[in-house]
Amino acid sequence: MNRTLKITCITAALAFLLAGCPKEGAANPGEKVFRYPLVAKVKSLDTGNMTDVYENLVGSHICESLYTYHYLKRPFVLEPQLAESMPEISRDKLTYTIKIKKGVFFQDDACFPDGKGRELKAEDFVFAFKRIANIRYVSPNWGGFKDRLVGLDDFRNYTAQFKNEFEVDYSREVEGLRALDDYTLQIKLVKPWPQLLDDLTTVVAAPIPKEAVDMYQKDMIYHPIGTGPYYLKKWHKSVYLELVKNPNFRQEFYPAEGSLDDAQAGLLADAGKRLPFVDRIIFRIIEEEQPAWLLFMRGQLDMAGIPKDNFSSAVDLNALRPTKDMQKRDIELDVYDLPSIFYIGFNMHDPVLGKNKPLRQAISLAVDKQRLNELFYNGRWKVAHSLIHPEMNEYDPALVAAGFMKYDPQEARRLVAEAEKINGGPIPELSIGMGGGDTFSRQFGQFVERQIEAVGLKVKIDFTDWPTYTDRMNKGQMQIFGGGGVRFSTPDALGALAMFATKYFAPLGNSFFYSDPEYDKLYDQAEVMFPSDERTELYRRMERMVLQDYPGVFTNHRVQYTLRHGWVENFKPHPFLYGWLTYIDIDTEKQKSYKSLTKELETTKSE
Amino acid sequence: MTAYLIRRLIQMVPIVIGVLLATFVLFKLVGGDISQQIAGRNADAETIAEVRHEYGFDKPLFVGLEPLEGDAWETVKDKYTALVKEQIAAEAKAKDRPALPLSAFELELKAQRQWLGDLFDERLDTRQFAKVFSMITLDSQFLAHFKNAFTFDFGRALDREKISDKILQGVGPSLALTTPMFIGTLTISISLALVVAFLRGTAWDYSIVILCVAGMSLPYLSFIIFGQYFLAYKLDWFPIYYSPDRPMIYSLVLPWLIGVVAGLGGSLRFDRTIILDEIRSDYVRTAFAKGLATRKVLFKHVLKNAMIPIVTSVVLSIPHLVLGSFLLERFFGIPGLGYLMYEAVAARDFFILNAMTFIMALLIAFFTLVADICYAWVDPRVKFD
Repeated sequence: MNRTLKITCITAALAFLLAGCPKEGAANPGEKVFRYPLVAKVKSLDTGNMTDVYENLVGSHICESLYTYHYLKRPFVLEPQLAESMPEISRDKLTYTIKIKKGVFFQDDACFPDGKGRELKAEDFVFAFKRIANIRYVSPNWGGFKDRLVGLDDFRNYTAQFKNEFEVDYSREVEGLRALDDYTLQIKLVKPWPQLLDDLTTVVAAPIPKEAVDMYQKDMIYHPIGTGPYYLKKWHKSVYLELVKNPNFRQEFYPAEGSLDDAQAGLLADAGKRLPFVDRIIFRIIEEEQPAWLLFMRGQLDMAGIPKDNFSSAVDLNALRPTKDMQKRDIELDVYDLPSIFYIGFNMHDPVLGKNKPLRQAISLAVDKQRLNELFYNGRWKVAHSLIHPEMNEYDPALVAAGFMKYDPQEARRLVAEAEKINGGPIPELSIGMGGGDTFSRQFGQFVERQIEAVGLKVKIDFTDWPTYTDRMNKGQMQIFGGGGVRFSTPDALGALAMFATKYFAPLGNSFFYSDPEYDKLYDQAEVMFPSDERTELYRRMERMVLQDYPGVFTNHRVQYTLRHGWVENFKPHPFLYGWLTYIDIDTEKQKSYKSLTKELETTKSE
Repeated sequence: MTAYLIRRLIQMVPIVIGVLLATFVLFKLVGGDISQQIAGRNADAETIAEVRHEYGFDKPLFVGLEPLEGDAWETVKDKYTALVKEQIAAEAKAKDRPALPLSAFELELKAQRQWLGDLFDERLDTRQFAKVFSMITLDSQFLAHFKNAFTFDFGRALDREKISDKILQGVGPSLALTTPMFIGTLTISISLALVVAFLRGTAWDYSIVILCVAGMSLPYLSFIIFGQYFLAYKLDWFPIYYSPDRPMIYSLVLPWLIGVVAGLGGSLRFDRTIILDEIRSDYVRTAFAKGLATRKVLFKHVLKNAMIPIVTSVVLSIPHLVLGSFLLERFFGIPGLGYLMYEAVAARDFFILNAMTFIMALLIAFFTLVADICYAWVDPRVKFD
């Protein structure tokens, strides 16, 4: 072979390689594919040990629970999912009798005889809950069940005698958790649990067929077997998850009830149509912002978050709509609240801070929350005036005027002088622990340091990796911890108040080590109360008690900004409903024409 | 040769043991307790205790004690449990903070250890040395660390996935990314180095050296961001990100290109220096004086002699190919080991770090031996004595 021929062959091979490159996310004709980015890996799809948002998002499309939230109704309304109806609750609020839907089948899987999914039974819920109680299974979700169901804690103690989780006899009776027949589940509580139904909406409470656990054992993390609208087809841990429509999924329909706004937004156009609409869901794990953004702009992702650096080119913040360039591309903006609270926390066990309220108050007044919001969140988030999120029923609007979280450096300086008297001399240098050594954490640390030093205090920032930060925070080894945040998982504000109860000392949530016997007494009272004016009053009283004690600087509530291509239909953000993709539809014609649209726009631009 | 190989293989044993000792000290002693991290953010004390048990963190570090037949724990259980409770309360009082809640399991464990300690002391006092020695157990974290490494049983990572599966899944993509990059960089670098060394002092030489220095000064990340934005997004020549919809090779072409361009500067300067040293040698001048063709002088004589340091650098780089390239993997979604290592560091997943350190130690020790053997191959003056 002469040299010219060799070069020709190599060039041809390279050209073939590049030209033959199939298009990303290519769908079969007429097939509806939804592509969504995840910014972190999904670690486990075993419902019993799912903990984070991404696991819940993926898992909720495969596995279902007894109840769910209505997709469109606001305020949030619970409705049955696998339950036939809302539960029958005894007068003393201690016994819940729940009827299970008949004719619901698990997805097909090798763990069932002939690989055919069997019908769902009440016993599958009993097994799933007992499995979480099994101490050898080491579920991170046990905390949610502890001291709640009659006999379940005893069952947990019983499991301690076994060497591994698979030796445990699940047929052992638990009084508070029984399948009365194939379609009736009975839950008996130790004390009233007003948030029970909200907690039963999470995928953690999904039923599990025992056959699956017997077969896959520890590898259940790769084999979610559920009754949901999709099943897991492919999972490449670092990059990709593919869910495909479950042929065994029962008949469920798009909601026909919604508000006038919903109707005007076209959210009721598909009312009564059979769910789900999308044939395949592809979750792509993309931890870097640039590739996710480029894929979205190329039309290879259907929705995306907005990188900080691209925010101004994507969003017209004054008008709260996409920029003209985005509008030309038929890209829409969704802005919605995520019930949450972000804070800089004080360790109340610290000898300097714990006994010096003026010092804590001075630090709180020294931090300009508005400026922090502008600098670090493009002014997108909400400045916090309270612990309880404004979207929650128990939110107290009077707290804005009360000004617990106001910015007042002058008053802060006065309080520092008072604090020094209590301390018996100048306040020693304070240490703020910051998790993560990335640019954001460093800039955040520097901002907080500058603000606090401006009122006459000395501060040093201690940067550590996230696991060390969490570990030290939970062990009370940090004086001040920066950049903390909690996203609430149910609409009940009790979660925000639990962060300050002594019985939930870290690692259970109270990382402030805040302890007030009176508050604890009120908390015990509040946690068994069902929604009422009296309870709202109690929640607000407790919130004020915490704010008056300044166990932290409460800075922001998170507001989510996402971009969505115009071909994604029926999207209505819901902060507590993870299985929302079931309701999404795709206009495939619009999706297909996107490439030519962008080419047209680029040609016009260059002209 | 065989004797040399055996000798070198034996010498590798203490190196590997040394690495294992170092990782034990780093990850077990200095690294701290990661059971809380494994158990999850809201895990209670019982769950954390169970995690400690499952991962063997409750085993003694080096040696521990074990009750013998007839040592009835049940008869003293209440006494020792009460004692431990008192100690915890006293400790908390001294620190002026509430005692951290302990699970029943954890409390019993602590009480049992206290009892065993007392039992051991008592037998030492009464000089029942046979019983004392029978109580000592070597079922420790130290031995488990060595046993797991030598049996390649690395257990499960923090996300409960098998570490061996993770490594096996990651090694292919990493090698697919780094090997062509490595070969491409090496080939282009040596070829260009020969040319610029031959043309030393000319405008070509200066231009290429300036380009190399510029390339070395630019951060690796800027090559990636530029390549991904212009070549993949703007010009649409390459995929932006790996998608399992199509063979991985399509998503690798751009990272290869970026890797070669970004790595060429340093490599070319190194090779040029080596070749320049050779080209100035007397024997090269003699060869040219004798009228040998330039091509023959460069490729047959200069290149062969310059290969000794190049081979050392090349062979010692091979183990690092396994580790992949963290930045390229992260930006292009290549599920390799570079990414795995980065995540393990960020998540303090000592199990993965421990496994990877051990594997890297084995590879480095092996390829150092290969490098020594290669000397003899490229330089006949080297003999194995």
